[in-house]
Amino acid sequence: MEYLWHNICELFTYQKDAPMIFSSGIFWVIFLMFLPVYAALKDKRKQMIVFVVAFSLYFYYKSSGLFFLLLVGTSLLDWTLSRLLVKQKSELRRRLCVVVSVVASLSILGYFKYANFFLWNWNQMVGGNFQPLDIILPVGISFYTFQSISYIVDVYKGRVQPTATWLEYAFFLSFFPALVAGPIVRADYFIPQIKENHKATRDEVYLGFWLIILGVIKKSLIADYISQYNDLIFSSPTGYTGFESLMGVVGYTMQIYCDFSGYSDMAIGIALIMGFKLSANFDFPYKSTNVTEFWHRWHISLSSWLRDYVYIPLGGNRKGTVRTYVNNFLTMLIGGLWHGAAWKFVFWGAMHGVGLAIHKASKPWLSRIPDNWIVRALSWMFTITFVSFLWVFFRADSWTDSWLIIKNIFTNFHVDYIPVFVEVRYVWCIMMAVIITAHAVPSRWWNTLSCLFVRSHWAVKFIVFIVVVQFVIQFMSEDVSPFIYFQF
Amino acid sequence: MRKNYLEFWLILLVSFVLFFALSAFDTFKIGNFELKTSGMLDRLLRVPENLKAVEDSAIAVQADTVDVKPKVIDETPQIILFVGDSMLEGLSPRLAAYAAENGHTLYSVIWYSSTSEVWGNSTKLADYITKYKPTYVFVSLGANELFVRDIANKRDKYVKNILSQIGDIPFVWIGPPNWKPDTGINDLVAKNVLRCKNGSFFLSNGMQFDRAKDGAHPTRKSARAWMDSVARWMPENAAHPIKMSKPEAQTAKPARVFMHQPNEK
Repeated sequence: MEYLWHNICELFTYQKDAPMIFSSGIFWVIFLMFLPVYAALKDKRKQMIVFVVAFSLYFYYKSSGLFFLLLVGTSLLDWTLSRLLVKQKSELRRRLCVVVSVVASLSILGYFKYANFFLWNWNQMVGGNFQPLDIILPVGISFYTFQSISYIVDVYKGRVQPTATWLEYAFFLSFFPALVAGPIVRADYFIPQIKENHKATRDEVYLGFWLIILGVIKKSLIADYISQYNDLIFSSPTGYTGFESLMGVVGYTMQIYCDFSGYSDMAIGIALIMGFKLSANFDFPYKSTNVTEFWHRWHISLSSWLRDYVYIPLGGNRKGTVRTYVNNFLTMLIGGLWHGAAWKFVFWGAMHGVGLAIHKASKPWLSRIPDNWIVRALSWMFTITFVSFLWVFFRADSWTDSWLIIKNIFTNFHVDYIPVFVEVRYVWCIMMAVIITAHAVPSRWWNTLSCLFVRSHWAVKFIVFIVVVQFVIQFMSEDVSPFIYFQF
Repeated sequence: MRKNYLEFWLILLVSFVLFFALSAFDTFKIGNFELKTSGMLDRLLRVPENLKAVEDSAIAVQADTVDVKPKVIDETPQIILFVGDSMLEGLSPRLAAYAAENGHTLYSVIWYSSTSEVWGNSTKLADYITKYKPTYVFVSLGANELFVRDIANKRDKYVKNILSQIGDIPFVWIGPPNWKPDTGINDLVAKNVLRCKNGSFFLSNGMQFDRAKDGAHPTRKSARAWMDSVARWMPENAAHPIKMSKPEAQTAKPARVFMHQPNEK
């Protein structure tokens, strides 16, 4: 008992290695305390806003320490400039407000996320001795920077009125469900909801709960478990047979989907419980039969943001065929760089840009191919292979590792390894089968299931919840078998 | 509280209370099925990491200062038991050459894909000790758990179990030949071995290896050099150094080699 107080304090204060995420137990303990106060204040809009902003800033402090002050600073600057913008008659001054806000946001992002990347590249060019700067990346900065840009641009374009108070804007920018990993909330979609202050219905509360449960299954159960095997493969690119490497690639393809979409589901669910709607972020992306469709289903809030704030301002498809392809490519390049400060992300984005351009260029003759199940199956197979292939570059530690894994798949593939693999790593195989099946079933089944859950008795919901949490606990400490054999 | 929220909040609250209460136990059973618990209570009552670090450094200081006498090399022939993962394929033939040169007898046990958890969950080590009555034990484990998350909490009890199976027999634990930074297996083993008077930990992390094409296992030649490094290190650093004159032969065969498959219990 002597350390009880110390440990409680540790749980509620910033810990560098333990950011607060929705899949952590501490978040749910804090959310349990948050909810009654929130419910009590829901009818008093101003108090509710103050409370949620304070809670969101605490949430950010728990995840990123004193960087929450950066978020406060960014929001103050944006809000002040947006108020200034609407008062200006001169177009030049209006534009100046937008430029200052966007440059400020991008400079902060650039410093924290890309400074070392640019310095490294600079030193490579001039042959200098690269010493990385000691920079800690504030959690979620990429997400809220894009929100901040969308706000000032939307105010400039007249799509949204600037918020009357800084608190309302801070509510939008720091809204904790979407703060650290999206979905990227758009001002014109979200700010009216703050004004409306919709009270969640019982069905919405339980639909939110359902999404949280789905998110927990995807992120904490499946993604966290299968990632262990995938990590082994990507940490020793030639340490495994071609079949094992292929399974690592397939595994990572499902892991990144489960991880990211699971977290988005939780975010959307929590927001829904609070009476706010966040836009859908994933729509069964691996069902896509071409790359364009994939980007309509994958990380939707990012792809639509890039479309509206990068692709269309660049000229979109309004300036001829060649410019359309170039704009598409540039947009994906920026999208790639947004994911991380490394050339592998740029390459990943660029290749998707190439894929989109090829698909666009092929549309005239693709439309002449009959639309039957064989064509659809082949299209799907081609798309999923293309997407999975590029995930290798996204995940591997280096360019060399990526090619080693791909080479290993083609040159070291032994079918006789499959039974041993299934026998030793059967839990991993079951998990993969579950998620692939869940992804493949018609999406209306999921709607039916969610309706059944929402209408079910509270005892059913309780049992479903504790069973899911127990599964998470059960698999949290399970490890995947590493090297099965090694023979010189 | 608003009615819409009350029921949901109560579901969360009761679930929390339930999992918190169950965390008072390590595991609990429903029929034959063993369920793990959340560890919430442990998290609240455990010794904080920063205080643990102070405690560990105190042990390190004690270990450094207590044994200041020059080490006496035990010249008597030993019965050596060498256990571990697939790294033994490279290390064991070289240790066998040392054994042949110095009059020791070597028994090697390779358990493919094994980890501290696998050995710690099994009585195989104790069984081999009972059967062959070794006077010296070498362990080479950790390569298969370089990337295990939260390893300090997950594997501590297994490392302790392995050490308790070794008991009072002098031993050397050869750390894994990292090809990527580990998540703490080296620290975990080192910390536990430090508490034993009869054993020492050889940190292989940081050594340069030529790797086999899997990028992880040292080549045969590099594995021989690795074992040579251990042998050179032992007179000064092992808790109980034994005669380890360098053999002329590159490799030799152990008296017996036992192999276990990954899925064996």
